[in-house]
Amino acid sequence: MDLTELSIVSIKTLLIYVAFIHVVPVMIWVERKGAALIQDRPGPNRVGPFGLFQPIADAVKFLFKEDPVPKEVNRLLYNLGPFLILLPSSLIIAAIPVGDRVEIFGRDVLLQVADIDVALLFFLSISSLGVYGILFGGWASNNKYSLLGAMRSSSQVISYEIPIALAAANAVMFYGTFSLRQMVLQQEGVILGFLPNWGIWFQPIGFLVLFVALFAETNRLPFDLPESEAELVGGYHTEYGSMKFATFFMAEYINLATASALLVTLFFGGWHVPWLSDSWLLLKLGSQNLVALVQVSMFVAKVSVLLCIFVWVRWTVPRFRFDQLMHLAWGNLIPLGLANIIITAILLYFFEGR
Amino acid sequence: MEAFLPIGILFLFAVAVCVGIYVLTNLLGPRIFQKNKLSTYECGVQNPLFETNARLPFKFRFYLIAVIFLLFDVEGAFFLPWALVYRESLQVNANLLVAMLVFSLFIILGLIYVFQNNYLNVD
Repeated sequence: MDLTELSIVSIKTLLIYVAFIHVVPVMIWVERKGAALIQDRPGPNRVGPFGLFQPIADAVKFLFKEDPVPKEVNRLLYNLGPFLILLPSSLIIAAIPVGDRVEIFGRDVLLQVADIDVALLFFLSISSLGVYGILFGGWASNNKYSLLGAMRSSSQVISYEIPIALAAANAVMFYGTFSLRQMVLQQEGVILGFLPNWGIWFQPIGFLVLFVALFAETNRLPFDLPESEAELVGGYHTEYGSMKFATFFMAEYINLATASALLVTLFFGGWHVPWLSDSWLLLKLGSQNLVALVQVSMFVAKVSVLLCIFVWVRWTVPRFRFDQLMHLAWGNLIPLGLANIIITAILLYFFEGR
Repeated sequence: MEAFLPIGILFLFAVAVCVGIYVLTNLLGPRIFQKNKLSTYECGVQNPLFETNARLPFKFRFYLIAVIFLLFDVEGAFFLPWALVYRESLQVNANLLVAMLVFSLFIILGLIYVFQNNYLNVD
């Protein structure tokens, strides 16, 4: 790997990372406006047109606030907590393919931070590291609310990891590869003459299991027990202030974006434009870079739709009770995921085996 | 290994963002000393119960959930390599299907055992 290639890779990585970080302010605005829409009130409307600059104002406010460290805390873990949540959520971006490839200086550059063969495994393993940040933050704060929030959150996150692994196994079985890029490449074109060739038609139960489990994994509202405001004040981030407090929300929104991106990659054809094949696009547009532009816009559009669904569900569905939450994971999602694997295996055997 | 190099670069960027956040808040934020600010957040009632250390022994059930998770996650991890080769192996014979059915039978038995003993009830 020479210097040109290294710089191209660095710039590409930086661009994708910055793009994913920019989901945070956009999602804060979308979330507040979406909540306002559902609750029939105006929402943020003072800073800039339609309150569009509200997230920037929030960020500036967070930066200029004092960052008090309570005297009872364990300083090392207290300071490490927020960053141990932000780091894994930043790292899993690497597995997401946002587009096919572009040509720069006569080189093919894949629009993915790292095209590793074990992308799905990488996603699963790194995303489960976030639980350490929650535990460190909650325990180090030395506050009963934080500790309770951390306990709940960690048992929730680890419980919902198993359905995710089962749904992922189902997808791997169907596509026959761990590489997310290969999975997207297999979803090109049209099936039955009118449906886009998406994974969701072949594994709807897998999609359902993964969708619900990712809600729990990102601590979104039907499952936001760790920070249930009414009973635990703020859960594991009660004692945090200033930008460290905002870091938890940055991590939550980046997690949300990567979760939506994973769903799009596995079940909604990734970067592919529905009904159109890449070669047809290349023929019409004439340039690989233009095709890549269309693909990336398509990917962003699909992810945006899913993000809006996340916001919609958050402000519509009430919170679960803790025993209901555990029962949903162990009593419903895990048996469903197992049954899905068995049924898919048997169906594949009838269609392809001999 | 070269495929993993961009992940290292991404890791450096992420660490830079974390350090940047930490440094910026410490540079920009004011520092006004106040005794009450340093106390643990509580409901405001002067109660000796709230002033003790929060790191009390917690319910054993949470530990049990972690152990059960470990078992089932390992079993889930066994599915992944099997799933990778399953479709190709169908071209030869159905041995893998039978093996997996037996394996999932054990997982289902384990799940039934967990529910019979009510291990997941934290209340």
